[in-house]
Amino acid sequence: MIRLIFAVLLGMIAPSVVMAQDLQSLLQTHQEEVAKPGRRSVGVVLDDLVASGLTEAASFLENWQAREVYVRDEDGLFFYLNDDETQLIDITSGAPSGLADVGLTQVRPNGGVRRAIGTALVQFQLSDPDINRRRGAIEAIARDMQASQLEPLVASIEGEADPGLKVVKERLAGLMRASFGETNEIRIAAIEGMAGDLSVDVRAVLNQILATKRVVATELPDDQNIATVLEPGTDLPMEDAYDILVAADLAKPRTTQNQIKAALTGNIVEGRVGGMAIASLDTFEARAMAYEMLAAAGLVEPLVGDDEVQDAIAVHVIYDVYTEQDTEITEAAAASLDALQTRIAVHQTADLFLDGLSLASIYFLAAIGLAITFGVMGVINMAHGEFIMMGAYTGFVVQQFIPNYTVSIIVALPVAFAITFGAGVLMERTVIRRLYHRPLETLLATFGISIVLQQLAKNIFGTQARPLTSPAWLDGALVFNDIVAISYIRIAIFVLALIFLCLILFILKRTRLGLEVRAVTQNSRMAASMGINPNRINMLTFGLGSGIAGIAGVAIGLYAKVTSEMGADYIVQSFMTVVVGGVGNVWGTLAGAGMIGGLQKVIEWLNPSNTLAAQTYMILFIILFIQFRPKGIVALKGRAAGD
Amino acid sequence: MERTFIARNPSILWFLLGLGLFTLVVTILSEATGNGAISTSFVKTLGKTLMLCLVAIAMDVVWGYCGILSLGHFAFFGIGGYAVGMWLMYARTKEIVVENLSNAVIPATEAEINGAIGVQIFGVVGSSEFPWIWAFADSLFLQLLAVVLVPGLLALVFGWLAFRSRVTGVYLSILTQAMTLALSLYLFQNDSGLRGNNGLSGLQNIPGIGDFNQAQISIGFFWASAFTLGAGYFLFAWVLDGKMGSVIKAIRDDESRVRFLGYHVESYKLFVFTLTAMVAGIAGALYYPQAGIINPAEIAPIASIYLAVWVAIGGRGRLYGAVLGAAFVSLLSSWFTGGGAPDINLGFYIIQWTDWWLVLLGLSFVIVTLFFPCGIGSLFDKLVRRQQ
Amino acid sequence: MTILRKTLKGAAALTFTAGMASAECAEPIKVGVLHSLSGTMAISETTLKDTMLMLVEQQNAAGGVLDCQIETVVVDPASDWPLFAEKARELLTVHDVDVIFGNWTSVSRKSVLPVIEELNGLLFYPVQYEGEESSKNVFYTGAAPNQQAIPAVDYFLEELGVEKFALLGTDYVYPRTTNNILESYLKEKGIAAEDIFVNYTPFGHSDWATIVGDVVALSEDGKQVGVISTINGDANIGFYKELAAADVSADDIPVVAFSVGEEELSGLDTSNLVGHLAAWNYFMSADTPENASFIEEWHAFIGDENRVTNDPMEAHYIGFNMWVNAVKEAGTTDVDAVRGAMYGQTFPNLTGGVAEMLPNHHLTKPVLIGEIRADGQFDIISQTDPVPGDAWTDYLPESSVLKSDWLDLECGMYNVETESCVQLTSNY
Repeated sequence: MIRLIFAVLLGMIAPSVVMAQDLQSLLQTHQEEVAKPGRRSVGVVLDDLVASGLTEAASFLENWQAREVYVRDEDGLFFYLNDDETQLIDITSGAPSGLADVGLTQVRPNGGVRRAIGTALVQFQLSDPDINRRRGAIEAIARDMQASQLEPLVASIEGEADPGLKVVKERLAGLMRASFGETNEIRIAAIEGMAGDLSVDVRAVLNQILATKRVVATELPDDQNIATVLEPGTDLPMEDAYDILVAADLAKPRTTQNQIKAALTGNIVEGRVGGMAIASLDTFEARAMAYEMLAAAGLVEPLVGDDEVQDAIAVHVIYDVYTEQDTEITEAAAASLDALQTRIAVHQTADLFLDGLSLASIYFLAAIGLAITFGVMGVINMAHGEFIMMGAYTGFVVQQFIPNYTVSIIVALPVAFAITFGAGVLMERTVIRRLYHRPLETLLATFGISIVLQQLAKNIFGTQARPLTSPAWLDGALVFNDIVAISYIRIAIFVLALIFLCLILFILKRTRLGLEVRAVTQNSRMAASMGINPNRINMLTFGLGSGIAGIAGVAIGLYAKVTSEMGADYIVQSFMTVVVGGVGNVWGTLAGAGMIGGLQKVIEWLNPSNTLAAQTYMILFIILFIQFRPKGIVALKGRAAGD
Repeated sequence: MERTFIARNPSILWFLLGLGLFTLVVTILSEATGNGAISTSFVKTLGKTLMLCLVAIAMDVVWGYCGILSLGHFAFFGIGGYAVGMWLMYARTKEIVVENLSNAVIPATEAEINGAIGVQIFGVVGSSEFPWIWAFADSLFLQLLAVVLVPGLLALVFGWLAFRSRVTGVYLSILTQAMTLALSLYLFQNDSGLRGNNGLSGLQNIPGIGDFNQAQISIGFFWASAFTLGAGYFLFAWVLDGKMGSVIKAIRDDESRVRFLGYHVESYKLFVFTLTAMVAGIAGALYYPQAGIINPAEIAPIASIYLAVWVAIGGRGRLYGAVLGAAFVSLLSSWFTGGGAPDINLGFYIIQWTDWWLVLLGLSFVIVTLFFPCGIGSLFDKLVRRQQ
Repeated sequence: MTILRKTLKGAAALTFTAGMASAECAEPIKVGVLHSLSGTMAISETTLKDTMLMLVEQQNAAGGVLDCQIETVVVDPASDWPLFAEKARELLTVHDVDVIFGNWTSVSRKSVLPVIEELNGLLFYPVQYEGEESSKNVFYTGAAPNQQAIPAVDYFLEELGVEKFALLGTDYVYPRTTNNILESYLKEKGIAAEDIFVNYTPFGHSDWATIVGDVVALSEDGKQVGVISTINGDANIGFYKELAAADVSADDIPVVAFSVGEEELSGLDTSNLVGHLAAWNYFMSADTPENASFIEEWHAFIGDENRVTNDPMEAHYIGFNMWVNAVKEAGTTDVDAVRGAMYGQTFPNLTGGVAEMLPNHHLTKPVLIGEIRADGQFDIISQTDPVPGDAWTDYLPESSVLKSDWLDLECGMYNVETESCVQLTSNY
């Protein structure tokens, strides 16, 4: 079977057949291209290698692609190296041929060349016993579809042992038939067979079939597959229409201001141009007048007038024509694509929703600790961001000691909680306790602490970002289709946020501690007279909020970066999340995070090229929102509201 | 009236006298008069410090006297700098462009001159069109007006919205901080029309003043700064004097009670907020030509917090406290980060102040807020009281 | 005591030997180093300060310059842009330095420019930048856009066959200007406007999911997509993590970065990024004897075998050596004389070949394209012949008529159409 394909290919793509050579001497005829290959020049080498029919060609191509080929500097011969890189291996026989102690240069084909090699390797690999090679071949075809590959691909489907790969092959064959099928029926059937598939490659095939180019002519031809006829003035501005005519050499180019200036400069006679004094030529109107004078005297080409533009456009027709000649096929493709559009829009909205949800959960996670310390206790903790940072650095340090990423994360989460809990308790006991009646000063003191912590982190860990790597099972993304996808790490953050929400609600609403916390925050003295120790409760609550910030730090560090300034990125946002949501209520924080995250994604979607603008407008919106709803989305009522 | 006002506040005279003496000494020792004991770069630092003192006074009035912890006053300061910076950049570039185009055979049109200025100013950020914000950039008068009006208007609108909704305390602080963040994010955008992250630069070159060198220009600005600081101090002392001042302080102490007494609290707060914003704008307009460059990083939220910290360290509720705090912390800061402070060798570790200065500063905030809520100014008070 | 010890440790033998040499040396030769040692830029710039200390130490060991030992004056502008101007003035007027090596960000350079020009100082600027500038008092030893961006795009077009471009950048001057130049260059190469996707994000951006999704969706019309990244600093970490999570391999959508070097890669796990690209004038993996000895000296000086070398370090290496040679040639450290002697100075690159200082104050440099390896280093897969740096790009209409030539035209902003010098100071 392979032989058969081989023979077919030989006939098809090998005009310069080089016979009766061994691999090394064949390569030596192209020494330069093999040693320093370029995408455009490598084709001839690949053709010759394939055409040579040498059995070692395939393995050479694979090694070449994997950068395992070396050139001996003295004579330019090619070798492989053995595993410990001490011996040269002959590329033909695979036998050791000398020690690798001479000058050797690694051959490093670039990405484009490696892709070309991959394409050449397809024919050897499509039916290879190794499934990874077959998969590689399929990927190579998918990346760069060529008509010549359709037949070998189809031929390989029948013998495909792996059912999963077989489906992939069949699908790919379908895609290729849409473009390269022999008859219109086959192609249309293939196009219709792709209906409802949201993959990027399906849209790529359809869009390529529907590729158009813009043409201008004196009248519409009837032998071409015309997509649209453009009406100057409505479909495209008159200016652009005229420019198209000029570009096609069908009309006279307009005289630019610079040309007018040059013409005037060139026709100065005794300090005057066209009868006008030079000094008066400081407006465009005056210059145009002087130029017309010159034109009237026949010294320069006259300007292109509006009438001339109108006339030129009137006698021409501008239209888009499909590169695909056949009307039936373009109609079928257009119909398929149209049918896809609504579904794409729906899925895009879903994706936007997922992104917004994910961003909201990140904001929520960053703010949830604050929802306790600020929201429930009313303490402004400007060092909250630094607790997040401490958590992230804890994750980093733990990874230095525990190389297994999964274990290290499992260890890091409680350790981060413990460390930031401790830091929170310490801060509460030493600083915040003294300032419960002076909230504005808490702000300043905790800001001082935030500066200290940030600078300490810089002194200890340096200003360079530190790696915090997620375990392998969090790599990659949950892919619904080519439009809707979300990375596992974001799902993990979402789940973590949910867990925390439930946990905090549980602690506040269902435990003795929560009851006491609520009692102390509502009326500390009354609570004290009931036998609750407010000092202890405040300390524990603040520690809890801080500890949660530490865990959030590990999660945020996993998905973004670990730097000494990462906390500062979240602090203002977190405060706004809590304020917008409504102080004193965990549900409010959730609502605030949801609103901010969702809103930001919507603004980004409206203006995709500028993320910074989205953040600016979002903050402006929040400011306005608070003006009109100062107590936030979920406002507390009655006594709990505190005023 | 004037006499009684001064008589009630003798500290004003002392302050103005001290400021005048200081200005005189610096001038005599500067390079401009040929002495050169104080380098031009230090004269600029001193001039800038004076303006930081002025914005600190404004902060003190709004926070120390009226109880509004605004984390937005450095944004107003920056707006003032931007407003004057636009004129400086435009006029300087126009001089260059007009001179260059005057060599052309055919005189340049208005549009060509403007286009060339646009390329010069915005070429750096990959554009050449004049944004609408620059509509008045060619008029020094209008831009100077903007120095006062834009911060004033922004403060007025923002304050009206916030005070009307009874947003107070820490909520107001967070809201003003959000405003500052929004403004700095906006300015960070290249599309803002104010050259994005690069901001406005070369502001130390003053167009249209002929052959003055930087030593003279810096002394000129130093005088202007000293005069403005004096005038600002006087203005605020006057505002805080008498019944108006009492109401403002009463609002700080108990807002609701003042309201029940029949005062329209919101108007007073709005007045203080707007007036201080305008003064902050003026301070910025004198600060940035001495710094030479203004960019969005200057108005990041943290700058406004630092401003509050200066006031806290200097001592709230005293105008001279703000001046002391701003001058003390900012000069100390530049001494430490400038490598002026000697390293301390602990044997096992060498404390380099470039690394540890911020730690020290941060700790001092905590200590000052916890143990010395009246700041350095209170030492001063004790001194005065003992003499009496 | 502490002060003395600090002097001994910090400036080390330099001041000491300078004192000895001053017997024959009329005036000490001073080199100012203007790099942030604290603040956000400290991580990048501290390395350059150390590089300068190492270069000066080597030069002093080799006998100094003009029979004098070189003294270094290090100041810390603390990543605060106005402070750069203040410190530059201090270096030139208080410390009387003969030359300044410094700055990293464009905005800090723009802040320093007016001061350097006013006081006729000399600055060597070692970082790749957006071009569109040529000051009489600055030598640009980093890459201009045509020495980094344009060759990288050529590589995308020629070698990778990219037909559709996503230009992603941090929202500041360097990406904006570079992307403007690239857009105009791509259009000239026949890429349609709708095939160029541009996006700007703030410094330190971390939420990349939507943008990566948008980039993947670009290939829906069947064209090969490539990403040109001018994303700066920390934001790269989130970006590359998201790329890896979305399983975007270099074979599907190659990414070439202009601001990601060996230093930046040390902040993340590169195993998922193998094959993505970066364009620089220098990679640590360059296989030349000069580079090997430079790395060895660097490791010995800094006392850490794991420290990487990078492109701006090479720029300082070339710049400092050229300055030393120019001073020797001129026989003085006078700025104008040294400037005159700088033109045509040549010095071997660390990557092979020879760099030459052009009359437009830029160098000729080879452009290297490297693929990220799993160990955080780069495989150099393409190296061009030396490219002369171009101060004013040919691909923007306003700049294409401008030319810089401080030798014959004595003007950094010369309009070849009107044949006049637009201005002698630079546009800051």
